[in-house]
Amino acid sequence: MAAPAASSLYTTTFLLAILITLLIAASLRLLAILPNGPFKPKPFRRRPIATRVLIVLGSGGHTHEMFYLLRDLDTRKYTHRTYVVSSGDAFSAGRAVEFERELEARELEREKNATAQDPSSTNTASRKLEEEAKPACTGPSHYNLVTLPRARRVHQTLLTSPITSLYTLLCSFPPLLSSPPLLPGQPPQNPYEAAAADLPDLIITNGPATGVIVVLASLILRFFDIRGAQSRGKCRTIYAESFARVTRLSLSGKILVWCVDRFLVQWEELEGAGRGRAEFWGVLV
Amino acid sequence: MADNWTWSEGSKMKVCFVTTGATAPFTELIRAVLQRSAIDALRDAAYTHLLVQYGVAKDVYDTFAIDARSHIQTQPEKGELIIEGMSFRPEGLMEQFRLVQQSNGLAISHAGSGSILEALRYGVPLIVVPNTALLDNHQEDLAVAMERSNYLIRGDVNDLAPAIRKAEDFRRKMAQFPPITSGKHRETKSFAAIMDETLGVLE
Repeated sequence: MAAPAASSLYTTTFLLAILITLLIAASLRLLAILPNGPFKPKPFRRRPIATRVLIVLGSGGHTHEMFYLLRDLDTRKYTHRTYVVSSGDAFSAGRAVEFERELEARELEREKNATAQDPSSTNTASRKLEEEAKPACTGPSHYNLVTLPRARRVHQTLLTSPITSLYTLLCSFPPLLSSPPLLPGQPPQNPYEAAAADLPDLIITNGPATGVIVVLASLILRFFDIRGAQSRGKCRTIYAESFARVTRLSLSGKILVWCVDRFLVQWEELEGAGRGRAEFWGVLV
Repeated sequence: MADNWTWSEGSKMKVCFVTTGATAPFTELIRAVLQRSAIDALRDAAYTHLLVQYGVAKDVYDTFAIDARSHIQTQPEKGELIIEGMSFRPEGLMEQFRLVQQSNGLAISHAGSGSILEALRYGVPLIVVPNTALLDNHQEDLAVAMERSNYLIRGDVNDLAPAIRKAEDFRRKMAQFPPITSGKHRETKSFAAIMDETLGVLE
């Protein structure tokens, strides 16, 4: 008996079966990558020499709060910073550059104090050794600024915002995948440059619409495990709800509470929001 | 324009600084602070200088400042209160907050979280006035919660005098911000610690 022609497979039932199979596979994958319940610390691993962190800035208020959150950022640990701003937001871009200058100045100050204290003591010597092993990573080669098209302009109709949001989503992949090399086309020369050219280890945002889109883009990378986004534990996400939100989550918060690894709120009233996912560890700003 | 105001040790200077938001000025607050009752409360508490950042609402400020100045002149025995205004400062408000800090003065602000955070870093007593005309008013929520934690005083835009009177006593008992421990007997973490924890790395 001859095998049935391949065309006999093109039936609605068969198509439906394939669709359902794909749907189930996709849901299982989503379940696997999406956080489940409150955050549980993962088994600790040794800190890599270099890490990249991607910070999504928003308009005025969000940007202000973000730099309060980041005030104790240690450039020895977070060796490359990528700041994402929306097009036309010169204020946030300016604040990012200013913040990096502050980091640089703080580091110079620390160095000066260390040598001024007592250059002969063993304490300083051991500290010096430690500093050589882990140098401070400040200055223009250790950060980059990325501008994304706005997801939704003020007064834009809801009808066209899905299209612009999709455009923002597409534009957010390249800066997620890597930050540009110091010299065009040059492969990374050291671990710091390698980390900068890799996926971010951590993504931080606090509420702007662009932040929601960048987190969704990172989920897509994890879904398909692009460049090992999921298997190498890259692109972990932290959302810090605005300090101004006391009793109700913001719209961005309501969306992201299901998607981010850590969801932080700054008022006790919001602790446990989003089926127990919202964590409260005191005021963070 | 207030740039020549300098504080020196032992001076009687006492500054009240009012900021109304740069982008969409809260004109009701400008009116509220220049009202006769508020001016009287400030003079009773020995304030010598009142500086109003009016943003783009210079016309509103000018109108009410004239009335406030003439009101001051009717009661010269209560001492002088110099009123000045300023527009938006791109370089920030550090100078103004320092003046308040040094002169044991007072800051009055709209309820935007950025302004609140900035003022509290200087450790000055702060009156926050929510804009009740705003829709989806989470400004009010924030002001209420902050007042409950003793970080600031919430002022009423219709009558600022009671809040100004309260400020003198509040100065002594205000809570430090950011708090060292928040809430009662509970563990707190810094954002930097949470970043490390999320990355899952060990020193």
